[in-house]
Amino acid sequence: MTLNRLYIITIILFTLFSCKPKFEIKDTSLGSVDATSYVAIGGSSTAGYSDGALNLNGQENSYASIIAKQFNEVSPTVFNQPLVSTIGINLDGNSRLIMGYKTDCNGETSLSPVREAASGDNTILGSNIYTGSGPFNNMGVPELSTLEVTTSGFGVSNPYYSRITSDGINGSILGDALLQSPTFFSVRLGEQDILNSATKGTTVILPLTSGPDGVGFDGSLDAILSALSGTGANGVIADIPYILDYPFFTTIPYDGLEIDAAQATTLNQVFNPLGISFQVGKNPFTIEDPSSPFNVRKMVPGELVLLSVPLDSVKCMGMGSVNAIPDKYILTLEEIDSIKVRIDEYNAAIGQIASDYGVTVVGLGQLYDGFNSGTTYNGITLSTEFVSGGAFSLDGINLNPRGQSMVANKFIELMNSSFNANIPFADPIKYSGIIFP
Amino acid sequence: MQKLFLLLLVFPFQIFSQGYQVNLQGQVSQGMGGAGSALMQDASSLFFNPGGSSFVHSNEISLNVTPTFGNTAFLENNTNNLARTTSPVGTPFSLYALYQVKDSSKLKLGLAVYTPFGSTVEWEDEWVGRFALTRLKLLSIFVQPTISYRLTDKIGIGAGFVYSYGKVNLQKDIPVQSTDGEYGTAELDGSGSGFGFNVGLFFDLTKHVDFSITYRSKVEMNVKMGDATFIVPNSLEEKFPSGKFTSSLPLPAVFTFGLAIKPNEKLSIALDANYTDWTPYDTLAFDYENNTESLEDTKSARKYVGSVALRLGAQYRITEKIKARAGFAYANSPVQNNYVTPETPDANRFNFTLGLGYKLSDNFIIDASLLFTQFTREATNLETGLSGTYKTRVYSPGIQLTYKF
Repeated sequence: MTLNRLYIITIILFTLFSCKPKFEIKDTSLGSVDATSYVAIGGSSTAGYSDGALNLNGQENSYASIIAKQFNEVSPTVFNQPLVSTIGINLDGNSRLIMGYKTDCNGETSLSPVREAASGDNTILGSNIYTGSGPFNNMGVPELSTLEVTTSGFGVSNPYYSRITSDGINGSILGDALLQSPTFFSVRLGEQDILNSATKGTTVILPLTSGPDGVGFDGSLDAILSALSGTGANGVIADIPYILDYPFFTTIPYDGLEIDAAQATTLNQVFNPLGISFQVGKNPFTIEDPSSPFNVRKMVPGELVLLSVPLDSVKCMGMGSVNAIPDKYILTLEEIDSIKVRIDEYNAAIGQIASDYGVTVVGLGQLYDGFNSGTTYNGITLSTEFVSGGAFSLDGINLNPRGQSMVANKFIELMNSSFNANIPFADPIKYSGIIFP
Repeated sequence: MQKLFLLLLVFPFQIFSQGYQVNLQGQVSQGMGGAGSALMQDASSLFFNPGGSSFVHSNEISLNVTPTFGNTAFLENNTNNLARTTSPVGTPFSLYALYQVKDSSKLKLGLAVYTPFGSTVEWEDEWVGRFALTRLKLLSIFVQPTISYRLTDKIGIGAGFVYSYGKVNLQKDIPVQSTDGEYGTAELDGSGSGFGFNVGLFFDLTKHVDFSITYRSKVEMNVKMGDATFIVPNSLEEKFPSGKFTSSLPLPAVFTFGLAIKPNEKLSIALDANYTDWTPYDTLAFDYENNTESLEDTKSARKYVGSVALRLGAQYRITEKIKARAGFAYANSPVQNNYVTPETPDANRFNFTLGLGYKLSDNFIIDASLLFTQFTREATNLETGLSGTYKTRVYSPGIQLTYKF
C-alpha cells in the first residue's frame, strides 16, 4: 500500500519531467539573404587555393563553400565550384603540399611540408570546362587582382580563369558573375593585390590606391560593387588583414644565421673589408641590397625573410652568409612600410565604397589579429605559427579548412546581425587542421 | 571490505550536487532536503554528526544506495550544436554500523563507509567540447571508524578518523589529426589516498530543540605515478610521450550547523546550513614525467569559492509504522563564471525531495526517498573558450535498509 503510493508518486514525477533536459532552439533563418544564386568573388583564398596549389580539399573547404553549406542548413542551396583533383596544381606545375618526411642537404630527415606528387595534375589547366560544368557560383580565381575583375578576356593572362570563363575572348569575372543574376554576393578583394607583390616581387610594386577601373584599387572596386549591388542583390565585402603576420613572412627569423668560431673567422675575413662583421652565435642574414656598397648588407630587426627562400641553399650553400639572400626572398623595412600604408589605404577605400553601395563590411582583420596573438577556440589553440599554429595551410599564406571555417563564421556573424538572419555557424572542429602522417 | 571496494569501482556515480561533492548519505536526511544533522535518528549520524551518534538508542547497521540518473545537455552559443552526456547511472552508497559498548551506555563505536565525492561525466562522441573533456571518472570512498561519547544527558561529542581512497580517469581529445582525420586522445589514469577527520558536537537543548555543529576536514587526494597515455599520429609520438604523471585533488572541508525542532510527538523539522570550503581547489595541475615542447606540465585555473547550502526538511509520523518526509535545499555553486568546465557544469540550484519510512518490524526499517533537481548555467570558459549553456537534470531515488538490535 505504502510502496504502491511511492510507486505512483514516482511515476507521476517521471511523467511530468522527462529525464533529459530540453533546450528551445531558435529557428534558423536566412533573413533578407536570398541564397538562390550566391556568387563569391575573390582571389586565391576565395577559390580555395591552399597548401601551395589549387586542390580539391581546399576548394571544398573554401570559406565561400562553407558559407553556402551553412545556407544549405537553412534552405537548399546549390553552390557550383570548378572542382579540380586531390593533388591539384599551381602555376609552377606543382602539386599541393602535405606533411611528410624530407631529407635536407645535411642528410637530416625531418617532418616537413613536401609536395604530394612529383608534379601537379596537368590535366587541370589548359582546357575550358564552362560548357558542361558552368556557370560557377565560386568565381574566386587564384592570384586575382582587383584591377582584373572587369578585364575582358582575362583568361588569356590567368590560366585558372581561362579554365572557367564563359567566353575565352571577351569573358570577364564580373561579367560571368552577373550572368548568374546573383541574389547574394560576397567579395574578398585587395588582399591578393598586396600578396601578389609581397610574396614574390623583387621590388614590391603595389597597385595604386586611386585611379579609374583597371588602374586604381578604388575605381576598380567601385565598378565591381556598383554592378553587383545594381542587380538589387544584398552582399558583403571583407576587409584586408595585415598580411605580414602570415606565417609565410614570419617563420624564418632575420637573425637565423648561427655560426661557430671557425665560421665567424672565415666570414669576417671575407666581410670585414666591406664593413660587415660576424660574431659567434646568432647573426642577421646577409642580403642583396643595391643601395648598399658592394650590393650586400646584414638584415636589420623588423625585416622579413620569406618562406620561399631555398632552405637547402641557406643550410649548405652559404646563402645568407657568404652569398647574400636575393632580394626576392626579402622584405625590407621600406617595403614593409609601403605594404602597411597600402593595406590601410585599401581598407579605407573598402569602407567608403561599401557604404556608398550599402554593402556591409566583414572585419576579417580582427579574426587574423586573433590568430596572430594566439586565440583559443573550444580548446584548440590557433596561431600564426607555421604548421603548429593550426589555422594556416602549408603554404603559410592561405588558411586550412579550419581557418576557412572561422572566416566563414565571421561572414555569417555579420549576415546574422545585418540581414536579420539566424544562420547556424559552421563547427570549426569538424574542419580539418594540419594532417600529420 | 575488499568487496565494497570492488562494488564502488564497478558502479561509478554520476555528477551531483555542488562541485564534485555528493550529498546522498542517508534516506532519512535525503527525504528532508539533506537536512537533519541535529535530528539524530539512526546510524547515518556517523556521517552527519558523530557527536549525536551517542544519542541513538540502539545498535544499528544500515545500508543505503541511491541510483542517480543525471543528464546534462550543452548548447553552444550562437549555434544549434547540442551535445548530451551519456553518463552511466551513478550509485553512491553508504554503510553505517553503530554499536553500543557494553557496560557503558554513554560510549558508542561506529564504522562508516561512504562516498562523499565523485563524478562520472561522459559526453557524446565528437561533441564540441571534446578538447576540454570527453570523459571524467572520479571516485572516492571514505572509511571512517568513529567514537561517540555522551558527556552529559544534554551533550554528545564524537570524532572519526577518515581514510580515503580514490581513483581518477580523465580523457579528452588532442587537436592533432592523422591522415584518417581522427584526432589524438589523452587518457590520464591514477589512484591516490588521503587522510582526514570528521568531528561533531550535539546539544539536546530542550525537549523540543536540538542543535549540532560538525566539521569534516579537507582530504587531499594525491595521485602519484598515474599513467598518462597519448594516442597521436606516428610522426608526433615523440612529442607526446606516454608516461607517468602526478596530480592532486582537494576534497574540501565542510562545516555544518544543524537545528532540529520537534513541536510534538509526530512532527520533526530540521534546518541545516553547510559551508563547504572549496577554496583549496584553486588549480588543477598535472605534472608529466616526460615533458616536451608539446607536452608541458599544465596548470588549469579552477578558482572555486566557498559555497553555502541551506536545507529545510520535515518529517511527519502518520502512523506507528509510517513516516512521511519532504524537504528542499538551496545551494550556491562554488564554480565561478569563467571557470565552468564540462566536468562539473555546476550552478546554483534548488533540490526538492520526498521520503517515506516504513517500520517492517521492531528490527527492520526501510526508508526511501526521491530527489529532483534541475539547473542551468551559461558560461564561457577562459581557458578553452568553450561557450554555451549547460542544462542538467537529476533524479535520485534512494533506498535504505536498517537493522536494529
